[in-house]
Amino acid sequence: MPTSARIVGVGHTSLAPRLNRSAWALQAEAVRAAVADAGLRPQDVDGLITEPGYSQGVIEGITPHFLRLGAMLGLNPRYTSSEVLGGASCVAMVQRAAMAVAAGLCNVCVCVFGDAPSMARGTWSYGRGDGSAFGLFGAAGLHALAARRHMAVYGTRPEHLGEVAVTFRQHAGLTPHAQQRAPLPLGEYLESPYLVEPLRVLDCCLISDGAGAVVVTSAERARDLSRGGIRIAGFGQAHNLTGLAGADYLTTLPARESGPIAFGMAGITHDDVDIAQLYDCFTIVVLMQLEDYGFCAKGAAGAFVADGHLRLGGRLPTNTAGGLLSEGFGGGMFHVIEAVRQLRGECGARQVEEAEVALVSGHGLGMNTHATVILCRD
Amino acid sequence: MADTPRPAPVPDAVTAPFWEGCAQGELRVQECRACRFRWLPGSVVCPHCWSDAVTWVASAGEGTVVTFAVYHRSYHPAFQPLVPYVVAVVELAEGPRLVSNVVGVAPERVRVGMPVRVEFQSAGDIALPVFRPVGEGD
Repeated sequence: MPTSARIVGVGHTSLAPRLNRSAWALQAEAVRAAVADAGLRPQDVDGLITEPGYSQGVIEGITPHFLRLGAMLGLNPRYTSSEVLGGASCVAMVQRAAMAVAAGLCNVCVCVFGDAPSMARGTWSYGRGDGSAFGLFGAAGLHALAARRHMAVYGTRPEHLGEVAVTFRQHAGLTPHAQQRAPLPLGEYLESPYLVEPLRVLDCCLISDGAGAVVVTSAERARDLSRGGIRIAGFGQAHNLTGLAGADYLTTLPARESGPIAFGMAGITHDDVDIAQLYDCFTIVVLMQLEDYGFCAKGAAGAFVADGHLRLGGRLPTNTAGGLLSEGFGGGMFHVIEAVRQLRGECGARQVEEAEVALVSGHGLGMNTHATVILCRD
Repeated sequence: MADTPRPAPVPDAVTAPFWEGCAQGELRVQECRACRFRWLPGSVVCPHCWSDAVTWVASAGEGTVVTFAVYHRSYHPAFQPLVPYVVAVVELAEGPRLVSNVVGVAPERVRVGMPVRVEFQSAGDIALPVFRPVGEGD
């Protein structure tokens, strides 16, 4: 059942290590920019879906994030919720908005992610349950376990991880708002120190203050707007909640199930995808997704990226604004925004010619959650 | 250096038998009396058939390294003196996997597929199951 919902507006703040503004202020700016981009007014918004930002923790006791943000924005929406799928939240929010619009629950739904880790106490490198007794801290540790296994089983090399970092940095160099724009030579990557071996600091996403938002509405409503919008053609989710108990964990991502659901809804195959915006909290996750989405055989992602296929002009230009690794930590919402901009043809020096179909992914928590959305220009 | 204790696991009603076993020098896994599935960490039902007939059984304590990571930075003062240290996923001969440390061997000699055997390391009030390569170390 393809949906007819469309993304008709995108907006975001800048991304930087410190913006000296609260997450609320950043979220409000992104919402205002996205609604203005759609040619709509605050009064038109009747749906609000939010992701509180990972460093914000529990917002003031049990008050859900959407409640306080909605109050600040003066909204009494017909549909609202907050998403808690970690890095899969932003893609999942777009899906939830498309479903709410398709079901007639609301008509103009804003999805917003925003965070201000520079203003937060605590650390992202928290212990992983009882694993902290053994020194398992941070998402980097889990992803290092996945990277080591990939290297041992498939012969993946440090140069392959490095190619991902180098390519996304190159794309960020063509993206005016990107946080890290200086070219990254592969040699510099290979000489950089390990954080949790086999991952280096340069394999890890940036930490940023910033917010992004998109506006989802029905095809009927989109016809009245100056921008016709980008069609949300298909989507899917799949999750690995059993973690270590399953033999596939650390080797295969739920993208393997989420992808075919999304491709099926959109009526396409992976061969039809022109550009990808893949969640890239760590370089290894990009390699795993290329395999699990079927862009290359299982175990062949190292060779695939070494052939330059992720670069502009390659077979599958990926993370064309630089991704979490170089554009900045936009929580996954900036992946959605970049896909929309590419499909609108607004990307200047980094524009992919004739980009018509984009795949956007989200991956979150302890490698547990996954969400996929297919966006089309028609 | 040993002044700061490691973050201690907090046993609850489900996981207490695991940690009691460790204190007695016995590595335990859960087993379903209905379907004989074995797993870790502890659950309230069999994750395979949802039977309530779950019990704890002793593992022989032998397994292999599925994967490992070498921490070159410490995120907690207790681990500062241990850097670089190895966090590993070990698959027991009985099937279940667990997160642990590989000890008694230099990090650069640890390999995926390496056979290891459990031993217990005291950490405050708790005994932690860690693994040492079989036929190496010391």
